[in-house]
Amino acid sequence: MMKINKKERNRAFILFVVFSIWVLFIVYKLVKIQVFDYTKYISKVKSQCNRIFSLHPKRGTIYDCNGDVLAISIRAESAFLSNKDNKESMEIFSLLSKQVRLTYREKKNIKERINKGRKFIWIKRKLEDREYEKLKKIKNSLNSTSTLGFVDEYKRVYPQKTLAAHVLGGVGIDEQGLCGIEYEIDSLIRGKGGKVKVLIDARGKIFEIEYLKKPVAGKDIFLTIDSSIQFFVEEELRRTVEKFRAKKGSVIIIDSKHGSILAMASYPFYDPVRIKHTSQRVLKNVAVSFLYDPGSTFKIILASSALENEVCHPKQIFNCYNGTFHIKNRTIHDIHPYERLTFEEIIINSSNIGAARIGLRLGKENYYRTLKRFGFGSKTGINLPAEEYGILNSLKRWSNVSVVFLSFGYEIAVTPIQMTRAFNVIASGGYLIKPNILKSVDGIVLPQVKKTKIISSSTGHIMTSIMTEVVNIGTGKQTKIEGIDIAGKTGTAKKIKNGSYENSYVSSFGGFFPANNSRITMFIVIDEPKGKFYGGEVAAPLFKTITNRLLIYLNIFPELDKGNEVRI
Amino acid sequence: MKKSKDKSLVRVFMIVMFFVFILLFTYSSLNLKNIDYGYRMHELILREKALKEKVDKLRAQKASLLNLKRVERIVKKKLNYQYPRPDQFVKVFENK
Repeated sequence: MMKINKKERNRAFILFVVFSIWVLFIVYKLVKIQVFDYTKYISKVKSQCNRIFSLHPKRGTIYDCNGDVLAISIRAESAFLSNKDNKESMEIFSLLSKQVRLTYREKKNIKERINKGRKFIWIKRKLEDREYEKLKKIKNSLNSTSTLGFVDEYKRVYPQKTLAAHVLGGVGIDEQGLCGIEYEIDSLIRGKGGKVKVLIDARGKIFEIEYLKKPVAGKDIFLTIDSSIQFFVEEELRRTVEKFRAKKGSVIIIDSKHGSILAMASYPFYDPVRIKHTSQRVLKNVAVSFLYDPGSTFKIILASSALENEVCHPKQIFNCYNGTFHIKNRTIHDIHPYERLTFEEIIINSSNIGAARIGLRLGKENYYRTLKRFGFGSKTGINLPAEEYGILNSLKRWSNVSVVFLSFGYEIAVTPIQMTRAFNVIASGGYLIKPNILKSVDGIVLPQVKKTKIISSSTGHIMTSIMTEVVNIGTGKQTKIEGIDIAGKTGTAKKIKNGSYENSYVSSFGGFFPANNSRITMFIVIDEPKGKFYGGEVAAPLFKTITNRLLIYLNIFPELDKGNEVRI
Repeated sequence: MKKSKDKSLVRVFMIVMFFVFILLFTYSSLNLKNIDYGYRMHELILREKALKEKVDKLRAQKASLLNLKRVERIVKKKLNYQYPRPDQFVKVFENK
C-alpha cells in the first residue's frame, strides 16, 4: 500500500477545500439565480423573448349592389426614421426624398423635425409598392446609427376613383371615417384591434403565439347603389352642369317600390383618396345637404293635398287673373298669362296664380298637415351624414300669405332627397318610403323598410295622370320619350341671397317611369345655371338623357313603332 | 453479503436512472416538438396573411381595371362603339 506523507495529505486537503468552495459557490449561485432572484431573471428572460404586438383590424370592404368593389383596404408599409444623429439622419433623408413622392411642405416638416432632434420621424405613411421596394434597398445599404424602419398599416383604396365619392365619403390617415357612408357606419366597418403575445428565439423567430385579444375585422358592406347607373348618371350630370356653367348639381335615382337608392350623384366630384386636400364646399353631398326653395316641383304636394282633402276635383276651373294676382300687398305673376285653368291645367302649365288659388281653397291647416305627412322639416333618415332637416315653419309662424307662397314652393327649404321621397309617394301609389342605401352588412340582408300610406291610391292615380300630361303637353315636354309613359314636374325657383330673392335660380325636375307601374323615381337639381334656367330647359333634358340610358340598362323597352317589331 | 446488497442497490439505482432518463427525454422531445409546431404555425399564419393580402391587392387591381370610366374610354375610342339610339331597337315577338 502506498504511503501518503503529511505534506501530500495537506495538499489533498487544500485541493479538497478549494474544490468544495468552488462547488459551494456554484451551488450558491444556482440557488441565488433560481430561487432568490427568480422573479428578476424570469422577467429579464421574458422581456428578451416575449413581445406584445397590437393588431390593426382590417376595414370592411364596400361593394355596390352587384358585388363590385367600391372601397377596399390593402396592406401598405409606412416608413419612419429612428433619429440618433441629426447629421446622419439628414443624409439618409436626402437619399430617401429622391425615392418617395413628398410635397415641399412635407419635406420641410421632416427636416425641421430632424433638426429639432426628434427621435421618431415619419417619412411617409402608406407607401406605394414601388416606393417601398426602393426604400427597402436603401435600408439594407445603410450603415449608420440612425435607422430606417417600416410599420405595417392598411391603406384605403377606391378603385372606381371619383365614382359615388359623396356616398362613400373617405377616411383619414388612420383609417377613421371622415364623411359619407365611411363616417356614418364607421363603428361597423372599422372593426376592433387586437393584441398578441409572441415568444421569440435568439434569431428573432416567433415560436409561440397567444392572442390576448383577438382582432375583429370590419364588416363588409353592400350598398344599394348600382355602379353602372351611378357611372352614367355622373357623366350626364357633369355634362349638364358644365354646359350651363352651374354651381353644382345633384341627381338621385331610387327604386320606386322599395326606396333603395340606385344612384346618388353630386357635382362637383372629388377623389376620396385626396379628401385631405378637398374643400368643404366640394365635400358636401348636395343630395342630402343642399337646402333650397323647391319652386314649382312642390305643386305636386299641394295638388295631392287638395285632392286628398277633397277640396277640388281635377276638372275644377280656377280664375288665373291673366297672369297677375294681388293678395295682401303682394303680387304674384305667371310666366305665361292664363285667364282660366282647370285644376289639372294649373299643374300641367305650372301656374303660380292657379296654385295660390288652390292653396287658399285648401287652407293652411290642411296643407300643413300634408306637408308634415310628406316628411318636410325632418330628416329622411338615410344612412348618410350631414343630412339637413329642411325648414318648415310651424303653423303658428305662418303669415296670412304663407299658404299662398308655399303653394308654389317658397317659404320652405327642402333637400333633394326629401323631394325624391315626396315624388316617390306618388310613384309608389301613396306610400312614404324611407330611402335606404344599405343593402346588407356582412352578408345579412337588411330588412325591407317600413312603408306608410299617406295618400290614397285614387289620389295617386289622378296625380300620376296629371304628371304624365306635364311631360306630354306641359312644361316637361323635353322629357318625353316615344313609347314610354313618364310622369314628372318641372321646377324653377329663385334663390335667396343676402335676405332677398335674386336673379339666380335652382332648376329642378322630378319624375318617375313607367308612369302606371313605376320602377324608377328620379330627382334632379341644378344650382344656378347660366343662360337658360327653367327646369324644363335645364333639368328636364338631363332627365331624358339619363332615362334613355336607364331604359337600355334595365331592359325596359318602350312601345315602339310597328317598323321596330319583328314576329318570328 | 454486503457486496451482493451493494450490487442490488446499484441495479435499482440504474433502473431508476433509466426511467428518469426516459421521462426527461420524452418530456424534452415533446417540448421540442411543441416549439417546432410553434414555428410551423407561425410560418403558416404568415403565409395565410400574405395570401389574403395578395387576394385583396388583386381584387383592388381587378376593380380598377374594371373602372367604368376606363372601360368606356376603351370601348368608345379604341373599339369605336356607341350607344344605340331608341329607334335602333327591334322588338322580337314569338308567334304562338
